[in-house]
Amino acid sequence: MALIEIKNLCKTFGSGDGAVHALEDVSLDIEQGEIFGIIGLSGAGKSTLVRCINLLERPTSGTVTVDGADMCRLSERELRQQRREIGMIFQSFNLLMQRNALANVRFPLELSGVPRAEANKRAQELLELVGLGDRLRAYPAQLSGGQKQRVAIARALATNPKVLLCDEATSALDPTTTESILELLKNLNRSLGVTVVVITHEMRVVERICSRVAIIADSRIAEMGEVQEVFLHPQTEAAKKLVLPSRAGKLEGFVRDGESRAVDECRGSLIRLAFDGETTDRPIIADMILSLGAPVSIVYADTRSIEGRLYGHTVLQLPSEPETAEKMRRWLTNQGISFTEEE
Amino acid sequence: MFDLVLKGLGETIYMTVVVTFFAYVVGLPLGLVLAVTAKDGLRPNQGVYLSISAVVNVLRSVPFLILIYTMLPVTRFVIGTAIGTKGVLLPLFVSAFPFVARLVESSAREVDRGVIEASRSMGASVWQVVVKVLVPEAMPSILSGATIAATTILGYSAMAGVAGGGGLGAIAINYGYSRYNYAVMLTMCAVIVVVVQLIETLGKASVRLSDRRLK
Repeated sequence: MALIEIKNLCKTFGSGDGAVHALEDVSLDIEQGEIFGIIGLSGAGKSTLVRCINLLERPTSGTVTVDGADMCRLSERELRQQRREIGMIFQSFNLLMQRNALANVRFPLELSGVPRAEANKRAQELLELVGLGDRLRAYPAQLSGGQKQRVAIARALATNPKVLLCDEATSALDPTTTESILELLKNLNRSLGVTVVVITHEMRVVERICSRVAIIADSRIAEMGEVQEVFLHPQTEAAKKLVLPSRAGKLEGFVRDGESRAVDECRGSLIRLAFDGETTDRPIIADMILSLGAPVSIVYADTRSIEGRLYGHTVLQLPSEPETAEKMRRWLTNQGISFTEEE
Repeated sequence: MFDLVLKGLGETIYMTVVVTFFAYVVGLPLGLVLAVTAKDGLRPNQGVYLSISAVVNVLRSVPFLILIYTMLPVTRFVIGTAIGTKGVLLPLFVSAFPFVARLVESSAREVDRGVIEASRSMGASVWQVVVKVLVPEAMPSILSGATIAATTILGYSAMAGVAGGGGLGAIAINYGYSRYNYAVMLTMCAVIVVVVQLIETLGKASVRLSDRRLK
């Protein structure tokens, strides 16, 4: 059984004409020990979804099961108990500003009545684990953004939760700090076995640490699967927008431009090649041009590294002569390169 | 004159300290209940919020001097006298605690909603959020409110001099204004100004010392 099971979840804010349907019929399973990404643009409903997991938001209908417990049916007291199994970190860190790092990490332990000395010891261990062993007495105002998020992570892990929910946890951080926080999350996932749910609007965060991803668009799950699969073969428009954020505008501009900058013979149709880790390091396009003796125009190219393997997209404009273009398609198929026609 | 100042000063400080203390004993919990039961609070409860709000608003709307006279029988019954330093304690308290409740409510509502959400995500009960998050996080703001409350109460205690109260205000009116002795009146005013300044300075220092965001 999956650690987190969400079935037919709906969440509506308000009622009548003013009702906002934040989530509609969302179902997904998150397995024990995985890092699961939930990605979507602002307002897609992903923050509401993650808040329905620990019931900071109560679902309008549907069920949420965490570690076998039906969250909506728990009593107030049982729910508080269950929340200690679910750590959460936030974009704005949400540290207690009047408590130092040690006291912040101790806070959830105080809530569950752990004796002070034991709580202090555990808090110190956790701060050492996140690399802040030398800042125990520092107040949040004295820490950088990345350090604050590390304190928040230590605090979220204090009660040994099974799940760590990350709500846009790196969105307020610069790229270098983001990288180090993601690295930390990945290490904690490996060393502690904690299941991590990552909410983000950035594909690079998902690529960096997630094994599976769900794409949320317009309050629904548009697409869900292995990160490589979604990255290489995005099916829906929402997925394409997220995977290839800069593609849409560029290609549109390219096609509409009557005076195409491509050489005359390269004004044919556009195809998009997807490279998986196997084929990325081969000079496919150069090989094709050399073996067929006809030029192509590279309109767009991008590579990403997912779990150490290199993946890439390249959009080519094929020669205007249909016969040559067809030859190229056949050549690519023979080489085992998957491609799709672009509109 | 020196004896007069000393006597007045003692009475004024006594009234201010006692009334501020009891105003917070009642006003602090009341303000927290207001913040918790407000529409956007932890446990919205319109019934509770509106009832307390109504009492607070009514008491705050009655002009203080009129309140003293209106409360005469009650004051006599509870305190035993309605004049002198003791006689104004009750009306001072009745006009101060609603004010304090509002000050505390607004301090508590300044606490970052994200921090409250985070504590709820860690399994905090409403009581734990109030005691361990709302009050400590709002403490600098609560102390700054207490400074305002104490100076306001001091001002009102002086005003009570008109209606038979004690302290510096009463001396300014009875020995100064009524006897055309402007030296006494102005001296008392000066002493009041100094005391208010002292309270302000103490208050600011306590806010600065308690606030961990400023370091």
